Amino acid sequence: MSKNVVRVMVVGLILALVLGALPIAAQDKIVVTWFVGLGTGTQPEQQAIQDQVAADFNASQNEIELVISYAGNNQTAPDVLSTLIAAQTPPDIVGPVGVTGRNQFAGQWLDIQPLVDATGYDLTQFSDALIESYREGDALVGLPFAVYPGLIYYNADLFDEAGLNYPPTEFGAPYIMPDGTEMPWDFNTVAEIAKILTVDASGNDATMEGFDPSNIVQFGFDHQWDTIRSDFSTFGGAAIVNEDGQVVLPEYWREHARWMWNAIWVDHFMPSATYINSDLFQPHAFASGNIAMTRVMLWYTCCLGDLDANWDLAVIPSYEGNTYAPIDLDTFHIHKDSANPEAAFTVLQYLTGEGALPLLTAYGAYAGRPELQEAGIQAKAEIYPSVNNWSVVAPSIDYAPIPHHESWYPGFAKGQQRFSDFAAVLRGDAGADLDIDAEFDKLQADLQAIVDEASGS
Amino acid sequence: MNSQSASAGVAAAQNAPRAWSIEKRQRFWGWVFLSPWIVGFTLFTAFPIAASLLFSFMDFKIGEEMHFIGLKNWQTLVTDPITLQSLGVTIKFGLIALPVSILFPLALAAMLNSKHVVGKPILRVLFYMPYMVPAISGIFIWQSFLNGQTGWLNRLLRLIGFVDPPNWLFDSAWIHSAMVLIGLWGVGNAMLTMLASMQGVPTELYEAADVDGAGPFTKFRKITFPMISPVILYNLVLTTIGLMQYFVVPFVLSSTTRSNPDTNFINLHLYRTAFQFFDMGYAAALAWFLFAIGLLLTIGIFATSRRWVYYSGGDL
Repeated sequence: MSKNVVRVMVVGLILALVLGALPIAAQDKIVVTWFVGLGTGTQPEQQAIQDQVAADFNASQNEIELVISYAGNNQTAPDVLSTLIAAQTPPDIVGPVGVTGRNQFAGQWLDIQPLVDATGYDLTQFSDALIESYREGDALVGLPFAVYPGLIYYNADLFDEAGLNYPPTEFGAPYIMPDGTEMPWDFNTVAEIAKILTVDASGNDATMEGFDPSNIVQFGFDHQWDTIRSDFSTFGGAAIVNEDGQVVLPEYWREHARWMWNAIWVDHFMPSATYINSDLFQPHAFASGNIAMTRVMLWYTCCLGDLDANWDLAVIPSYEGNTYAPIDLDTFHIHKDSANPEAAFTVLQYLTGEGALPLLTAYGAYAGRPELQEAGIQAKAEIYPSVNNWSVVAPSIDYAPIPHHESWYPGFAKGQQRFSDFAAVLRGDAGADLDIDAEFDKLQADLQAIVDEASGS
Repeated sequence: MNSQSASAGVAAAQNAPRAWSIEKRQRFWGWVFLSPWIVGFTLFTAFPIAASLLFSFMDFKIGEEMHFIGLKNWQTLVTDPITLQSLGVTIKFGLIALPVSILFPLALAAMLNSKHVVGKPILRVLFYMPYMVPAISGIFIWQSFLNGQTGWLNRLLRLIGFVDPPNWLFDSAWIHSAMVLIGLWGVGNAMLTMLASMQGVPTELYEAADVDGAGPFTKFRKITFPMISPVILYNLVLTTIGLMQYFVVPFVLSSTTRSNPDTNFINLHLYRTAFQFFDMGYAAALAWFLFAIGLLLTIGIFATSRRWVYYSGGDL
């Protein structure tokens, strides 16, 4: 290599170092990094809006520079974030992310309660139930941003066809049977009317003698697209591990497991895995028009554009006089090793406050902040003119079960997989011959083993 | 030139750096051109392999401090019921899949090599075509085709008189058969290599066998099979290794159909351990365990190959 080439390379290297250092020297702002991808937010159109929100924030003050870092998608995001944390270069803010995503990195989030206290941030604008969902033990790890209350979606056309009244739209209101009898709007009543709404290929419903469960063309009810912990939580929330480190699943969860087993294998008004994956439920259960009622969160309004039916919303049924409407939550978290927690909290307030509306629109989400909720509903109402009962959405937030149905416990990821396996067995072909109580006991024992392993005991 | 200047020239030549010989220069440039691959291999293959072996002796969970735990991961490996169950699932599936994935393409190749079959070029293309369909799309298509309620296969079976056809994807007794069926779509490549090998068998051998009065079965057993046995060995080794890496079908089925525990193959268990449970140390031990099984099986196959594989150039 000639000396000239070496000289050019050395000069180039020095130049690159000097130029690389220049922006740092010129920049006095505190840099806050915002990692996007663990949940939603990586679509190009979402990125454009997030970039604009960051630009607006940066233009609004002179002290903080908000910089966004995108993961490729939410499949690879956990690996990227893991690497950043392992390399001790964690981002300051991570989100939007749901509770399961948050729990994947349990112990990594900053307790923002001291910052809330120091800045006087008003938590009273939210219900206690909602705030509880953002706690990990005693630590507050997020602020309400996007919430997706649990609801009943019902196909009004199928109710009309069966001559049934629609489910109630107020908590505590009774369900009126066709003969005028008032029944409590609970899971027993759901089972009663769901059987009438379940129809086989010959037109028999599930209450009739000649009903053929092997050839059902319309189902009455489903817990759709949700974890079985969420399904169980419609009978009440429960912590997986008690203070003594013991896994004691509550009896009302066992009760709900029995209710589901009966619904799928005895009364046949809830679809088995075979039906769920059949052509009957294309593109998916409720959107196929072949299911009369489904329990799912508000985010399902994402996907009903092609449903050629009049559908509407109702409140979740009660269990023994109390209603529990499992809720999904997306928000932003500050990493515990953030170099600038105060600046990060300033950004957090902006993202959940002033900058929230464009972000909520980009994510198709419903606001946790009451004053932003109406705008979200207006946008959805324009898309779905058949829906009259948007009024059930806001009150449902207050019926979120505590603890949250995705709350953390030792061995969380393995435990959630074990719950998922339980659901697979329950809905799979072997579910028909299942001893549901024995399977529930096995679930509890396996969870105990997982918790013990994770706790090192 | 006077003698003074001549001796000065010799001294200068002795002090100058020696010119490289052609061989040295070629060697140097050979290394230069190879170096990108060597650097890439060292950094992105050899180093991660060595690191994963090291990780298998560590308690390495993402987000936590990594520390040395000796053989604990390896001890867990032999006592973990999920590992044993998933290994059992893989072996059970392998016992069905391995013979089928060798015999089926062999049968297809034999059929396409027969002079009695018409439309061979079209059949060849048809059998090969599914191999080109992306795996994920293929699995979704099969999932719909095999649905116990509305799938086309069961509709056909009902039409021809099966009152209660199998629930392929949700019945433990049938799920592995269903997965083998899905796998048959990918036999095009094996079929093609076997067919090419069959077409390379010298025709004189068959002519001589005809003179000796050998029937088609004898000719296949005594001539075709030995002559194509190296290709069968090649496919057997690849299929066995592929079995240890079997992932896409069970992953898609278990993530979309709430399928049963019979889809929990060892490689899926490895994936979940690493990327769902973030237990990288134990996952590394699992990966090395899988490698060891694959290596042992491959050695076993090669050890037996002396008895049934024919090399025209002698033993390898």
